[in-house]
Amino acid sequence: MKLSAAKIILIGCGLGIVYGLLNGFSNAFLLPSAPIISLRPQIALPMIVGIIGHPLAGFITGFTGNIIGDGISGFGFWKFWNWHIANGLMGLIPGLIRYRGITRIATVREFGILQVSIILACGIGVGFAVVMDVLFLHFMIFPSSLHAWILPAFLTDVVNGFVLVPVALVLTGAILITLETRTIMMITALLIIAVLATAGSITWAVLDDLVSHQAMVRNFYIAAIVSVLLLVIGFLASIVFVRKMTDPLTKITRAAESVEKGSYDLETLDGISGRNDELGRLARVFEQMAGKVLEREKKLQKQVEELQIKIDREKQIADVAEIVETEYFRSLKEKARKFRAS
Amino acid sequence: MPKIIAIHSFRGGTGKSNTTANLACLLAQKGQRVGIVDTDIQSPGIHVLFNLDPREISCSLNDFLWGKCEIESAAYDVSKMIEPQTDGKLFLIPSSIRTGDIARVLHYGYDINLLKEGYQKLTERLSLDYLFIDTHPGLNEETLMSIAIADILLIILRPDQQDYQGTAVTVEVSRQLEVPGMFLIVNKVPDVFAHEELAVKVASTYQCEVAGVLPHADEMMTLASSGIFSMQYPDHAVSREMDKIIQRITG
Repeated sequence: MKLSAAKIILIGCGLGIVYGLLNGFSNAFLLPSAPIISLRPQIALPMIVGIIGHPLAGFITGFTGNIIGDGISGFGFWKFWNWHIANGLMGLIPGLIRYRGITRIATVREFGILQVSIILACGIGVGFAVVMDVLFLHFMIFPSSLHAWILPAFLTDVVNGFVLVPVALVLTGAILITLETRTIMMITALLIIAVLATAGSITWAVLDDLVSHQAMVRNFYIAAIVSVLLLVIGFLASIVFVRKMTDPLTKITRAAESVEKGSYDLETLDGISGRNDELGRLARVFEQMAGKVLEREKKLQKQVEELQIKIDREKQIADVAEIVETEYFRSLKEKARKFRAS
Repeated sequence: MPKIIAIHSFRGGTGKSNTTANLACLLAQKGQRVGIVDTDIQSPGIHVLFNLDPREISCSLNDFLWGKCEIESAAYDVSKMIEPQTDGKLFLIPSSIRTGDIARVLHYGYDINLLKEGYQKLTERLSLDYLFIDTHPGLNEETLMSIAIADILLIILRPDQQDYQGTAVTVEVSRQLEVPGMFLIVNKVPDVFAHEELAVKVASTYQCEVAGVLPHADEMMTLASSGIFSMQYPDHAVSREMDKIIQRITG
């Protein structure tokens, strides 16, 4: 989308208010073991604005929204300014994928870049807030802030972004449903469900059995780190697997398109037709079919090029003479002349 | 001056009658008064395209040639075929389809003076602007007569070797008859042919202007021999090319 500066600011502030209200609301429900962090699904909002609208609009949404949220929750409007900027960065960074030429997501590669950009956005955002705190604000006490504050913020943001941003982009059409995106999203969804179910059960189901608060926090901390690691590693692995599966199909499709265009660029099939599976067979059958079509087309082309009007002049002269050298023809010619003169 | 346009092809099956009927209808649609004479006495057929019931034909070209009736009473108004209706009129002078009549004309033949006179009367009494003559394929005496009388001769050919050779003979014979205007029409041309190149090639081979290259049309096949194609499919490529032919030969 091409937006004017005024529109970027308007959209950023407008959705920033929505984001702020949602923050204010969710801050009332803090995560167990994390005194100032809530499970914030709304973090996906600035990311979505950044991707669909404009990176700067995403930044403004995150930035203003966090100010409003903090204000409503009584944290003070400007006290945690580093986190305002951190939220802004989370809205800004995923939007930058457009500068890698990605405006619509249709392939596994593009989907991978999107999800990695979300993880990076969370890492950079939270990292920025921590560095600013260490340098200027000194609110954090290490190491307890690490599990009370930093890690819960990072982990919930990653998981929320990872799950909700693709859903929103599918609904708005920014992710095209192709064979590639459908497959990678299906596998990603399974991965998320598996990881979150495991992590959730570890975190909440065993809460009662834990003796001390410290043990509970430790438990949460380990479960969350393991889930995000599993999510990231599992996601990267599934990208590799899905690409292995969809690449040959994409190449066969390209070959088919080249036949449609008439360029018969079948080299992309070279690596596939040797395979022993269904795709190999498809590629071989396609190559044969395209070969036949090309042959027929060439033959026809040749016929047209050879289009010659061959006239046997000797025969023509003889045939003409047979007609014009008759008495009838001579008298006809004479009469025709008279008609035309009259 | 009314113009006599003869349509000829060396071989049968070139779409001669069909093209004649279409060109005549298109001209009438433009407000002209047009007549069509079916001189293909050996194998008449154009009346079928105009849905003219043979039982309605009480007087035909054959009857006129034997002095049994006036030529204008052999003219049937088929203007109802023109779509949309205009001020133009279309008359058809059919040949008799009775085998006895056919044999008789073939046996005795007819005289060019009589034919010419008949055409003159016809154009005067029906105030025709154009008179189309649908001829019999080949170059028999009656066909040569039609060519000799014509102001404009349209020779239809298909893009195949036999037609190319026969057309060469027709063109040369017609030149010797000093026909004032002569045009070629290439009909039933498959899409794979480059139509413009074909036109250039044909024109240079025969040293004769090509009035049009008509593509092969499946729709024409389905319409078969009932109804006038250009009236029913006015936007079809074939109809548009026929329009251009009209402009070239009358312009």
